[in-house]
Amino acid sequence: MGAVIERQELHDAAQKAFPADALKPNRDESWKLVTEMGWLMLSLAEDAGGLGLGRDSAAAIHYEMGKALGTAPLIPAMATVQAIGAATDLADQAGWIERVTTGEFVTTNLSAGDVTGDGDALSGTLPAVPDADMASHVMLANPGRAALVPLDAPGVTVTERPLWDESRRLFDVTLDGYVLDPALVMATGAAAEALTRRLKGEMIFALAADSLGGANTILDLTVEYLKTRKQFDRPLGMFQALQHRCADLKVLIGAAEALLWSRAMQPDATMAEIGGLKAHATEVYRWVCEEAIQLHGGVGLTEEMYCHLFMKRANLNVQLGGNADLWRELVGREALAAAE
Amino acid sequence: MSEQTDLDQLRSQVRAWLDANKPRDWRALSRTQDDFVKTQRDWFQKLVKAGYAIPHWPAKWPGGGRSLAEQKVIYEEIARADCPRLLLSFVSTYHAFATLHECGTPEQQDHYLPRILEGETWCQGFSEPNAGSDLASLKCKAERKGDVYVVNGQKIWSTMAQFADRCLLLVRTSSDGPKQAGITYLLMDMKSPGVTVRPIHQIQGDEEFAEIFLDNVEIPVSERVGEEGAGWAVANATLASERGLTLMELSYRMRGAAWRIAELIRKNGREEDAGVLRDFGKLVTQLDVATAIADQFLENRIKGIEGAGDASIVKNTYARALRDYSLLGLRLGGLDEQYVKPITFGDLNTGNWMADFMNSYAWTIAGGSDEVQRKIIAEKMLGMPKEPKGWVL
Ligand SMILES: Cc1cc2nc3c(=O)[nH]c(=O)nc-3n(C[C@H](O)[C@H](O)[C@H](O)COP(=O)(O)OP(=O)(O)OC[C@H]3O[C@@H](n4cnc5c(N)ncnc54)[C@H](O)[C@@H]3O)c2cc1C
Repeated sequence: MGAVIERQELHDAAQKAFPADALKPNRDESWKLVTEMGWLMLSLAEDAGGLGLGRDSAAAIHYEMGKALGTAPLIPAMATVQAIGAATDLADQAGWIERVTTGEFVTTNLSAGDVTGDGDALSGTLPAVPDADMASHVMLANPGRAALVPLDAPGVTVTERPLWDESRRLFDVTLDGYVLDPALVMATGAAAEALTRRLKGEMIFALAADSLGGANTILDLTVEYLKTRKQFDRPLGMFQALQHRCADLKVLIGAAEALLWSRAMQPDATMAEIGGLKAHATEVYRWVCEEAIQLHGGVGLTEEMYCHLFMKRANLNVQLGGNADLWRELVGREALAAAE
Repeated sequence: MSEQTDLDQLRSQVRAWLDANKPRDWRALSRTQDDFVKTQRDWFQKLVKAGYAIPHWPAKWPGGGRSLAEQKVIYEEIARADCPRLLLSFVSTYHAFATLHECGTPEQQDHYLPRILEGETWCQGFSEPNAGSDLASLKCKAERKGDVYVVNGQKIWSTMAQFADRCLLLVRTSSDGPKQAGITYLLMDMKSPGVTVRPIHQIQGDEEFAEIFLDNVEIPVSERVGEEGAGWAVANATLASERGLTLMELSYRMRGAAWRIAELIRKNGREEDAGVLRDFGKLVTQLDVATAIADQFLENRIKGIEGAGDASIVKNTYARALRDYSLLGLRLGGLDEQYVKPITFGDLNTGNWMADFMNSYAWTIAGGSDEVQRKIIAEKMLGMPKEPKGWVL
């Protein structure tokens, strides 16, 4: 009960700071605001100086950012802050926690990379790294070793990859014989594995929350449009054919949200459970956007209308953090094994 | 039997000509709108000279007088050879032609038809910001002053109006009686004083259609097609002028582009992924369905059979298949497809999957939306009761 109330408070605060009628707010101003609001402390463990709140709190923020097409890189930021707090080997951990909760940004990749290396010299690419231009470090979560890599170090190249999605910025971070700094190793062995799993789980969950927030806004905007747009001497929303279309979307979103908030209260949810949710939520978002454009008619195809902003973000969400094929296969395998 | 031989002969003729003359690098040459327009103009002139541009025009025109069966052969071969579609001249050779041919005066025909073959292009100025699906509610106002109409208002979504020489314009000449009764059909020179064209920025980074603003534009009464107030009938008589050829051609092209999905499957090493193969198999069958219904519709037309709603079934089947084709590409293409890539103008199956997805809406929204087609199927084909016209709160 207590947790539910706290979550509502977060929704309210986030709506105030990032109202859904000011879509795609300025990124740098958003980042400042986000730090001031203390949201980076939310999921940081209490013994690391954070609030130690559950996944539902972070999800509330990501949900609201999805609603407003937030541009600040909260998905990697909240996850890396948590990981830094939970790191077992990081030198100057307290200093790191202080810095990353007050504005320094550590990013990480939202798609699987291919970084390998002999000894401590690493090579390969980390794809889909959000907002590397404003980050000091990227967190490298390799099996067996989690570490921070300074983005201005020799052997590290950062390249922006222009996206269809106008509300986000992604970069490739390429390592070419980069030598790890022992002081920046966060964990090794089983501890690194646990840290990595936790980091990924947080981000995948965040993408699900972002998607359902976005789905809500675009449905609301579409319903509003159909209420005001008149054809055949009546609001289009009066046609039952269109009412049913919108009602179907509402059913999809409402039901998916039930799963989101229920999994949010389940701290021991497995990767398959989170991944299955992510696959579903992002697919719901994508479909709501596909319908929204259709329901707007020609105007939905214009740049000045909001529809495409949501549609492009939804399509990106589908691909980030592992796509539906990957997660659904895992869910299927685990369900099969569980039914043995 | 001999008719079949004739068709076979035509097919080999067209095929041989296309082999020798088809533009091979048109996709690479269609990366910008200006280049695309140039490619289109060149290709149209080549087809006109070869006698394959206007097979549906009467026999007195070069390459005209072809039966629908012959037209089908020509379109099949052009699609098979993967040549550019005639997009820029589409409104000119179909809508403008049909309007003039069926409802125009001999003077109008003699004036405009030869110019179309010389490359004059037309756009369609029907839709308005507040008259989309409900086209009959259009408001663009024309007032008769002596022997001119003075036109004021706005048109929107006019495909390639920024490149057009002339416009098929629907205007309101009276607001008495039923909405349809006050509509008049005019032919407008796009260079007339008072005409402003503003291209519309589209979500795929393209500018395929435009707004047209009309500010005291004077159009001579001699440029009217049909009587004053008969514009609705003229528009309806000519809207269906392309008779299903376009959708047949597009279905063939889409079916022919299934290799793009196969290529993605191989590129990602998913040849042995049974789930992916099943999805691909499902799509290929869906493409076959779309091709079959488009083909059947045209075959029936050749035999003189057409039922109410038939065309709507063809359109909605094609449109959904086109959407699903792009969606499977998007899914299999993965994160790579979320990065912006150059677009190719004038093609719906380009393998730039986000752009293809966005372009697929042209077929669910334009030319009577998917929803409007369903209404036609429900009312005209299934005989379901119509929604009441007026409404009270
Ligand atoms: C690519 C493209 C090219 C075009 N080219 C041209 C052109 O060259 N010339 C020209 O004049 N116009 C052109 N159009 C305009 C096109 O004809 C209109 O977009 C179309 O008629 C729909 O109108 P609208 O966009 O105003 O949507 P609206 O009519 O506002 O429709 C909005 C939504 O409501 C639905 N809807 C409307 N009425 C009903 C109903 N009774 N029951 C259930 N649902 C309903 C629609 O299907 C749609 O989903 C083009 C459009 C596109 C997308």
